[in-house]
Amino acid sequence: MTAMSVEGRAATVTRADVEDFLYREAALLDSWELMQWLELLTPDAVYEIPAPDRPNDDPGTTFSLIHDHREMIDQRVIRLMKTTAHAENPRSRTRRFIANVRIDGVEGDELMVAANFMVSRIRREQVTYVGRYEYVLVVTDDGLRIRHRKAIVDHFRLDPHGKISILL
Amino acid sequence: MAKLTGQFVREDREAGIFEVNRQAFLSEEVLAAEKAEFFDKVWLYLGHESELAKPNDFIARQVGGRPIMFSRDKKGQIRALINTCRHRGAQVCRDDFGNAKIFTCFYHGWAYDTGGALVSVPDGDAYASLDRSTHGLVSPPQVDSYAGFWFLSYNPDVEPLADYLADAKALLDLVADQSETSMSVVKGAHHYSMRANWKLLMENSCDGYHGMSVHQTYIEMMMSMGMVPSLLSQQEDGASYRPDFGIDLGNGHATTMFPELGRPLMSERSKELVAAHRARMVERMGEDYTRRALNTSRNTIVFPNLVIVDLNFGIQIRTMFPVAPDRTDITGWQITPDEVGDELKGYRIDNALTFWGPGGLATPDDVEALEQCQLGFAASAEVPWSDISKGFGKERPSTMDELQMRTFWRQWNRCVTGEDLPGEGYSYDELMQHVAAKVAAS
Repeated sequence: MTAMSVEGRAATVTRADVEDFLYREAALLDSWELMQWLELLTPDAVYEIPAPDRPNDDPGTTFSLIHDHREMIDQRVIRLMKTTAHAENPRSRTRRFIANVRIDGVEGDELMVAANFMVSRIRREQVTYVGRYEYVLVVTDDGLRIRHRKAIVDHFRLDPHGKISILL
Repeated sequence: MAKLTGQFVREDREAGIFEVNRQAFLSEEVLAAEKAEFFDKVWLYLGHESELAKPNDFIARQVGGRPIMFSRDKKGQIRALINTCRHRGAQVCRDDFGNAKIFTCFYHGWAYDTGGALVSVPDGDAYASLDRSTHGLVSPPQVDSYAGFWFLSYNPDVEPLADYLADAKALLDLVADQSETSMSVVKGAHHYSMRANWKLLMENSCDGYHGMSVHQTYIEMMMSMGMVPSLLSQQEDGASYRPDFGIDLGNGHATTMFPELGRPLMSERSKELVAAHRARMVERMGEDYTRRALNTSRNTIVFPNLVIVDLNFGIQIRTMFPVAPDRTDITGWQITPDEVGDELKGYRIDNALTFWGPGGLATPDDVEALEQCQLGFAASAEVPWSDISKGFGKERPSTMDELQMRTFWRQWNRCVTGEDLPGEGYSYDELMQHVAAKVAAS
């Protein structure tokens, strides 16, 4: 492997490798090990959720739900780990179901990955977020890392969800 | 419908006590009275003119429980049309937004243009007498705008919009005047719900007192990113006196006006862009007015259910409608000056998203607080009254006081019970003269 270029390594990543990675990510999020989750992100990572009425538009130029560059992702996690993050104290119990994982393309050291999700959040009541992920994963010496993570919800209105107070 | 007879608001001016009965948040009878006594009678926010950029643009939205098409006709005139076919009632427009010359009801094919005129009836010859000219889509009885903000009323005899808005007009101007060309609503909206009474969000939307406790994590975030919360900080405009008031704007409208909060995401480049925009506004409007518009933050409520929050890094427009006493539909939009360019717009959007919306770092904690209140109201038999007395009796109540909520509640009480409690505090103009005198003396 050491002789192979990074580009070469991206081309050898299988769907099973990507699934293992996404399942490990989901487990970290479900168990609220958010500091460990941050280690899966590249320093230039972006996390975003488009506006539900503009799912195909750029979350950076529309009034999307989330458009975090790495600094704000870190702040979001720091906040969520505090007991004064009132919307998540006590914390929701979440359970993520990730399916239909596809590698849609390979460019350089990057993999374009798509997946479907159902994320259950149970606190005072149960709500389920349904949608799809678009990832840009990058092959590094430490394994796969997340450069871009977009969660596109299918809901027209966040009713009864009200909030996306967890990492979706 | 008869006015409600119970006591929902009680005040003791000498003791400085103001209380609201928690049945106001719980009762189906109260909800029915709210619908009959003001949602069906006063002006309700419909939308902003910038949401309809081109002729034949349309948006379908619920306003006061009715399906409304907010549209621009082919000549460019903004209209509101009730989205129900004159034939059997189906909604003729089934998209949330778009651009179309004709709306065809898919049930039997009656077709209307964007002005609402009935232009086609399949097999129309079979009607003995169908006057198409009187069978267009119906408009709400009253539709009008102020400073680009459009309102409607289902009451044909409602007072003129400008009279109804009273001093809230000045607060809408402070938004509209931030642009040389026009303010522009950003594409994309936040539609979400909460399990709490809608009035809790009207209170929360102009509540300065909750900031330090509910939004502690947000303030800590700003400090860790190098910002100093405004109440402690020296601001960039160099002013030595800063207003900090809750203000009764008349007719149940109110605002808070306080030193700007600062910007969580700030770069040298964005500082330059903000400063350039400010300099252009000073040229147009003068330093004093610019300082009022750009260097104060303002949480404005327009009775019954419109909120405009200007935190300088972004401006949030919000409406809410009750679905049930403990359930509310909420919509949030973001509005920016149109001419500032994509870079500054993107910076404003990113800042706004740190705070507002279902995925923001502030709004979910607000919603949690309001849902906790609603849960607590289950014990209304044992604990029937909520307290809204803070600052009652002060000469000039501050943002951290509760004059603005009392203003809302007095109007609410006037509408549903007929009881007319007097207002409090100085008028907007009096307070602005006070600011000018303080600035001149400093």
